[in-house]
Amino acid sequence: MFALPEKESRAPSTCPGPASTQDLDSNCGDGLERECSRKPDQKLPELYGVGDPTAGFSSNSSHLSSRGGIIKWFWDSAEAGYRTYHMDEYDEDKNPSGIINLGTSENKLCFDLLSKRLSQSDMLRVEPALLQYPDWRGHLFLREEVARFLSFYCKSPVPLQAENVVVLNGCASVFSALATVLCEVGEAFLIPAPYYGAITQHVCLYGNVRLVSVYLDSEVTGPDTRPFQLTVEKLEMALQGANSQGIKVKGLILINPQNPLGDIYSPAELQNFLEFAKRHELHVMVDEVYMLSVFEESVGYRSVLSLERLPDPQRTHVMWATSKDFGMSGLRFGTLYTENRDVATAVASLCRYHGLSGLVQHQMAQLLRDRDWINQVYLPENHARLKAAHTYVAGELRALGIPFLSRGAGFFIWADLRKYLPEGSFEEERRLWRRFLDHKVLVSFGKAFECKEPGWFRLVFSDKAHRLCLGMQRVRQVLEGKSQVAEDPPACQTQEPRDRHR
Amino acid sequence: MDETRDGEGEVFPNISADISSAGPVPVPFSSVNWSGSSQPVEAKTKAQGMSHQSDVLPCDQLRDQVIGNQSSHTQLMETLLHLRQTVDDCITQLTTRPPQLDLPLEEQRHNQATGEQEAFLRRVVNLLQSGAMWGLGLQAPRPTLGPRDDAGGGQQAQLSRQLDQLVHQLSHLEVAFVSHDLSNRGIDISAFERSKFQDFKTYQGDKYHEDKNTMGFINLGVSENKLCTDLMTERLSRSDMNHLEDALLQYSDQRGQPFLREEVARFLTYYCKSPARLDPENVVVLSGCCSVFSALATVLCDPGEALLTPTPFFGGLVMGSYLYSKVELMPVHLDSEITDGSARPFQLTVDKLEQALLEATLKGKKVRGLLLINPQNPLGDVYSRDSLEEYLEFAKRYNLHVIIDELYMLSVFDDSVTFHSVLSMESLPDPNRTHMIWGTSKDFGISGFRFGALYTHNKEVASAVSSFGFLNGISGITQYKLCRLLQDREWIDKVYLPTNHSRLKAAHRYITNKLKALKIPFLNRGSGLYVWMNLKEYLQPCTFEEELLLHHRFLGNKLILSPGKTYMCKEPGWFRLIFSDKPLPLKLAMHRFYEVLAEQKRDLRVKQLEDPQKE
Repeated sequence: MFALPEKESRAPSTCPGPASTQDLDSNCGDGLERECSRKPDQKLPELYGVGDPTAGFSSNSSHLSSRGGIIKWFWDSAEAGYRTYHMDEYDEDKNPSGIINLGTSENKLCFDLLSKRLSQSDMLRVEPALLQYPDWRGHLFLREEVARFLSFYCKSPVPLQAENVVVLNGCASVFSALATVLCEVGEAFLIPAPYYGAITQHVCLYGNVRLVSVYLDSEVTGPDTRPFQLTVEKLEMALQGANSQGIKVKGLILINPQNPLGDIYSPAELQNFLEFAKRHELHVMVDEVYMLSVFEESVGYRSVLSLERLPDPQRTHVMWATSKDFGMSGLRFGTLYTENRDVATAVASLCRYHGLSGLVQHQMAQLLRDRDWINQVYLPENHARLKAAHTYVAGELRALGIPFLSRGAGFFIWADLRKYLPEGSFEEERRLWRRFLDHKVLVSFGKAFECKEPGWFRLVFSDKAHRLCLGMQRVRQVLEGKSQVAEDPPACQTQEPRDRHR
Repeated sequence: MDETRDGEGEVFPNISADISSAGPVPVPFSSVNWSGSSQPVEAKTKAQGMSHQSDVLPCDQLRDQVIGNQSSHTQLMETLLHLRQTVDDCITQLTTRPPQLDLPLEEQRHNQATGEQEAFLRRVVNLLQSGAMWGLGLQAPRPTLGPRDDAGGGQQAQLSRQLDQLVHQLSHLEVAFVSHDLSNRGIDISAFERSKFQDFKTYQGDKYHEDKNTMGFINLGVSENKLCTDLMTERLSRSDMNHLEDALLQYSDQRGQPFLREEVARFLTYYCKSPARLDPENVVVLSGCCSVFSALATVLCDPGEALLTPTPFFGGLVMGSYLYSKVELMPVHLDSEITDGSARPFQLTVDKLEQALLEATLKGKKVRGLLLINPQNPLGDVYSRDSLEEYLEFAKRYNLHVIIDELYMLSVFDDSVTFHSVLSMESLPDPNRTHMIWGTSKDFGISGFRFGALYTHNKEVASAVSSFGFLNGISGITQYKLCRLLQDREWIDKVYLPTNHSRLKAAHRYITNKLKALKIPFLNRGSGLYVWMNLKEYLQPCTFEEELLLHHRFLGNKLILSPGKTYMCKEPGWFRLIFSDKPLPLKLAMHRFYEVLAEQKRDLRVKQLEDPQKE
């Protein structure tokens, strides 16, 4: 799961065209349905899978504890693709033949706007209180600003409370802290798959909590359905399955907009999932880290905080960060919103490990406060740039006859490259990924998202035009140069230990 | 009242039996998932369930039995609420007792009743406390309320103070028992936070300010250096700090930005006087030293394994990390008395280490390492090169890791004291098991920056700790500022350090003179931000309960100090006082300090006069 550049991604993928599902069904030459029907010999579909990040691992370290060995192995395997990239990063002048990164979900389109804003004088204040230990929940001025910000952008029917906000250094930490305070060791969360794979590590490292995948299908089963659609039925089945294996499920993770699908849950769907959770007394963690990166107006995204009535407000926990929506993954600012004071207090108690510099807290408060800039400068420009980049990549894929999902949110496209895998195996998927890397373009393969169908890839498009063009050119070369990769030498095998057990 | 207590009877016998049979054996954080074995999930889960039966705190069993089981969960909540109600009733009754109970007969009866009530309260408190504390797994004496030493009645003052204490403790624990959304460890985490950091929270809400809130709390409990905020503010406001580039806003190497790790390596090479240039590859930076420690503990020890820890020592760092990593601490208790083996109070010797290791082993504890803090917190001691060498050799003999926290290395303000960093040694006895932690919080007085660094020769350990770079990462912007700061040797050597040291020295002199005038014994060391002092004279009897009461008395007078118990000190009566505050608050603090001690002394005198009468 961590095999990839995946360490970074945390976004839902996205897609091109005007209407996503239609792209898949009809517009593209090789629609999904045809793809699927091509394989009549498929086994009965698996409905769920219990993640065991430690399976197949054996420690031989004399210095580390056994969990330390596993943690190190996380690091080693997570870094494989990413390290290759870092050793040979593309640079227009210095290393034009270096690797282009379409794997890490970062928005690199608006650095000019951000650096200008972050350099304004209001950002540079230094005062003693910012240099000393803060309230562990985050400075009050920032929590108040976050509450106001979320009230406005999530369209909350009532003003949100600063008391319900906890500030941490990124959403990874929010996942980690929530897992720890909500679950005992070995307990689990449900999560619809494919999903942003790094969550596995976030909940495991400290919390030793695992994920139960609710497998979604690319196949479209009815007129009102779409590929990889999550349904309550699927949730029920997965929950039942996990329970029957003796696994205690404590919660459900929803990513909305979804990563890597770029999908968006309608308010009705959201309501249903929340009701499902309530029935089973599950906590729901809603990760809305891409909520302002919905660049197609028509999509009609709704935050869970906009619902008139939450079925189980005490068990609904919302997370957001500036990493994606403000293109600042390196800033490490994430926030939890929960009405449950016990949960907020417990998470805050862990904040000594997940704190954020007072100076950065000040900057974040200034940024979130500046509605004029956000509404009139940043968001319109960011959306326009995202749209343009997206249109370009979508066009390229169409030209290649590659089906993909697209709903107009997030930084990526979830592309169906199954036609390039004659046997439809994960081994082939891995080899194709390796071929991309050998051709100096880094992408993410579906296995890293726990996708159960081999052949899906996530392509990040939120990069500058020159890099994007070059990246897509390399993608095209790989795919056109050879649509059969089966005979390629398995060059990567030794480097990707995770694959062995997946 | 009697009826209520009878009602309790049904609950209590079990509980008290559990308590009495309890060794403070912490729950082994199940190694199930970490084991990496290929056992099927189901079997693992079962095994975990089984293991709980045997080696778990009794209260934990109780909780497992009740909380773990959904159906009886409500039952427990009701029981607890009931308990609380009873406690409240008792307290109300005791505190509102009519004053005319002076008749001998009445008094006797009353004393009997009070005795019973107190015994009952003690049991409740012990129960609640062990419930809240089980997760800490600390071997230190718990603040249990034993049978009262002065069995006679009539110590109204003391009784009411004890009740205050009960109320205080109960209110701390309240949160632990009302949440049904949290996991057991979530409950422990909250309870821990509340019990250990309540004072800090109170302080946050009512901070002293020289203009706006002169009646607010003065915090001489949290170790922060507030003496040089003017210098830091000026330095951090210079334009070189505000550089921005896209790499700072993007994901970086999880170990930390390469430019920062390089700078940290250069900085430590210079200030730790390393014989060879330190390697940036051996540096990992995370959000604060707590994070570094927590990550290290996690990758070096499996749940339930232990680190040897000379006490008194700064508890917050490590006890906190127990919450995440479930690594235990085996205290190596040091004595204030000077004995044959030691030349100064609280001296750590290899004998004591050997003995503690043996004891731990006999208890079946797997000890994976030794934790040293140098300069020591709260003692202010600096280890000599020879001592350091001995400790490291000891660790090597037993294949123990050494985690050495040198967070105060640049806060040695007395020129006659020479600090030896572990990185200054010509050759480390066991370089692959020696891990050094440093951060800017104390030495640069910027605890709000959240920066901590690990230096280790062990690549495996460095890699494993790097996995936490995501969960404990630092903002790129902050990393840049830190790099600029550490780079500016000119400013550090010519401006910051000399000024900081002379201010620390002055503040230290001020405080120690006051203590001398009050004839309060203290350790006079030239390093750190604190003085470790002995207030035994003011405790009667000299117990941890009395220590806590005195602490609350300070709090009542808006002064925060840290009682020795917090440092797992085995002798009651010690307190740590932070002196690195501005002259004005410091002066006011010492005034409040004096007031409390004077009041305390008055009470003691009254008590002494009363006691013989009652006998």
